[in-house]
Amino acid sequence: MSRAALIIANDLKRRLRAPMATLLFLVIPLAMTALIGAIFDPGEDNRTQLPPIKLLVVDRDQDIAARFLLGALDQKEMKEMFQVTRVDAVAGERLMRKGKASAMLVIPEHFSDDLAAQRPSTLEVVKNPAEEFLPGVAEEFAATMAVGFSAIAQVFADELKVIQGVRRLSLESVTVADLTPFLERARGKIIALKSYLSPLLLAVGEETTKKPGQEDRPAGFNIFRYILPGMLIMFLLFIVEPSLREIQNERADGKIRRMMFSPLTGLELAGARIFSGWLIGMLVALLAMAAGTLLFGIAWGSLPLQLALLAAACFWCSAFFAMLNAFFRNKNQAGAFASPVILVFSAFGGSMLPLEQLPAGMRWVGTLTVNHWYISGCTRIMDGRPPLASLAVLLASGLVFAAVAMTVLPRRLSA
Amino acid sequence: MQQTILEIKNLSKNYGETVALAGFSLDLARGEVLGLLGPNGAGKTTLISILSGTLRGFTGSVRFLGQDLFADRRLKNRIGVVPQEMAFYEDLSAMENLMFWGGLYDIAGKERKRRAQELLERVELSARAREPVKKFSGGMKRRLNIAIGLIHRPELLLLDEPTVGIDVQAKVSILDIIRGVGGQGTSVVFTTHQLAEVEQTCSRIAIMDQGAVLAAGTLAELIRIVGEKEIVEVSGPFSADAFSEGIRRLNGDGMEILSVADGLAMLAFADSQRIPAMLQHLFQNRLAVADLKIKSPNLEAVFLKMTGRSLRD
Repeated sequence: MSRAALIIANDLKRRLRAPMATLLFLVIPLAMTALIGAIFDPGEDNRTQLPPIKLLVVDRDQDIAARFLLGALDQKEMKEMFQVTRVDAVAGERLMRKGKASAMLVIPEHFSDDLAAQRPSTLEVVKNPAEEFLPGVAEEFAATMAVGFSAIAQVFADELKVIQGVRRLSLESVTVADLTPFLERARGKIIALKSYLSPLLLAVGEETTKKPGQEDRPAGFNIFRYILPGMLIMFLLFIVEPSLREIQNERADGKIRRMMFSPLTGLELAGARIFSGWLIGMLVALLAMAAGTLLFGIAWGSLPLQLALLAAACFWCSAFFAMLNAFFRNKNQAGAFASPVILVFSAFGGSMLPLEQLPAGMRWVGTLTVNHWYISGCTRIMDGRPPLASLAVLLASGLVFAAVAMTVLPRRLSA
Repeated sequence: MQQTILEIKNLSKNYGETVALAGFSLDLARGEVLGLLGPNGAGKTTLISILSGTLRGFTGSVRFLGQDLFADRRLKNRIGVVPQEMAFYEDLSAMENLMFWGGLYDIAGKERKRRAQELLERVELSARAREPVKKFSGGMKRRLNIAIGLIHRPELLLLDEPTVGIDVQAKVSILDIIRGVGGQGTSVVFTTHQLAEVEQTCSRIAIMDQGAVLAAGTLAELIRIVGEKEIVEVSGPFSADAFSEGIRRLNGDGMEILSVADGLAMLAFADSQRIPAMLQHLFQNRLAVADLKIKSPNLEAVFLKMTGRSLRD
C-alpha cells in the first residue's frame, strides 16, 4: 500500500470508528428535509386549509351586475373560500366595527347601469384591520371581478345597453324581432372571442421525456426533491470540512512533524488528505441519496450523472477546505472560520431558501457557492437534462483550489 | 575502531537574530548511545529537527552512512525519531499505530506486523496491544512513542527528551529500552535535562550550549576536565549576590565557584582541608549555612563548569 493510500485508509478507519458525528450529519439533513417537506406539503388529503373568509356584502345596486357578482360568490370553489352574508350598510358597518367579518364588499348604487353605460364605478372593500391576510384575499377577489366586469363592459357595451333597455320594458312588449339583431351581434362577438376563450388564454401542458423502452412512471409533485439536494450539499460541507481541519489538529500535536520524519512528502500528504475528504463526503452523500429515495421517493434521474455531479461537488468541498487550511495558522482559526463560511454558502447558495427569494441584487452571490451549482445541477438531472454547467464550474474551480492547496500546504506542513 | 555513521560539521542555524546553532560539530559511532546535554535554548531541539529532515535553511554538512543526509530522501528510512510530543493516534490501538507509522517507512505488511509484535513485546505493551491508546498511562504512551520510532529498524535513533513527565518506574523502563537499542547496534542521540539519566544510559556524552559542543567524551573523560576535585554543595538562606560577594576573596585560592543561585551554591575544592576555612569565612561575612554536602566529581559538576548555570526542568 502506498503511503498516501495508507493515510487515506487510516482517515477512513478513524472516521468509521467514531461514526456519531458523521451519522449526525447524515441524519440531520434527512430529518430537516422531512420536517420542511411536511410543513409545506403534508399530502393530498391533508392540505393546509385557509379558514373561510367572512365576507359581508352590501348590495346597493340590486340589479343584474350585482346579481352576477353574488352569483360568482355562490360557485362551489368560492363558497369554500368565502362565507358570504348579505347585509344592509348600517348592519355591515356595525359588524365590521365589532370585528365580526374579515371584509365588507360594497356594490355601489347604479353599478349595473354604470357598467352598461361604461361609466366609472367603484367596488368598495372595507377591510378588518385586526386581520392581515384574509381581508387581502377578499380585496384580491374584488379586484379580479372588477377587471372581469371592465372587460365585459368594453366588449359587450352595445348589448348591455340593449339589455338594460329591455329590462325596463314589460316582457309582453318585447318581440323576437326586437331581439334578433342584438342576438346576432352578440353571437358574432362570442364567435370572435371563441378563439381566445376556448381554449382559455393559457394552458399548462405537462410532458415527461422518456427514453426508448423506459416504462411510464406515475408522475407526481414531490416537494422533497427540491429540499434534499440543498440540505445534502450544506451537510456535505460540514462532513468534508473536519477531514481537512484534521491537518491543523495533527500539526498542533506533532503528528504531521512525525510524518515528515518519514519519507512521506508534503505533496503526498496534501493529496491524501484531499482524497480522504472527498471519499468520506462521497460515502455519506450516497447514503443520504439512497435514504432520499427510500424515505421520500425521490427520483434522482440518471445515476451516472448524479454520481459525476456528486463527485465534482465533493472534490470542490475537499479542495476548498484544503486550500483554506493551507492558509490557516492553527486549528482555532480553522474552526472559527469554517462554520460561518458554510452557513453563508448555504444561505446564498439555495440550501436554506430558494435563490428566487433573495433580493435580485444578491442572487449573483449564489453563483459563487458550491451549493448553487450542486442544487441546479441536481435539479437538471432530475428533469432529464445534463448538468454540464454545474460540472464544468465545480471541476474547474475545484482544480484551482486543489492546485493552490497542493502548492501551499506541503510547504506549511514541512515547516 | 567502530564505524562512524554520523558526521556533523559546522552546523549553523539562525532564527532571525537568534543563533540556534553556531558551528556545531560531532561524530557518532555505530551502536553508540550519545547523551546530548544542554540548558534550555542550547539548540538541542534545533539539532534534532535538522537531523530528522524537518528543518532547512542551515549551513554546514551532515553525512549519514557516508552520504549527504539530505541528498537522498530514502535515507529517512534508516533514521528513527522519537519526538517530545506523544505524536500518535490515541483513538487507535498500539498495534494499529505501529502498523500505520511503519507503513510510512515502506515496510511490507507481514514484516510490519511481525516487527510491531516484536516491539510491543520489547516495550512491554503486548497485553494491551489491541486497546485504544487513550486508555494508556503516561509511561505506556512514552514507551509506545519510542516503539513507533523503532518500527522500521533505524540505524540511527534520535530521542528528544523521552522521559519528560513520567514516573520513576516508567523512566527506568524507558532507559532500559534505550540501552537495549544501543546494544543491538543502533546509534542513539538522546537529549535530556536529566544528568542522572545520561550517566546511567549513555556511552558518550556531549555538552552543548549556545549552539555549539562545549565538551564531548565518556563520563570519565569529562570528569577529568574538572579535575579530581571535591564538589561541595552549600545551601542556606542567602542570596546569590550576597554569597558571591562574600566568598569572592577565596575564589581561585584552592577553591572554584561552579555555580551560585539564591539559597544554593556549588564549589570545587582541590584540597578538602580548605573547606573549614571556607565555612569560617562565610560565618564572618554573616552568611548562614543550613546544609553542606561533599560529593565526588560528577557530571553535574562538569556540566556546571562547562555551561556556568544550573539545569532547570
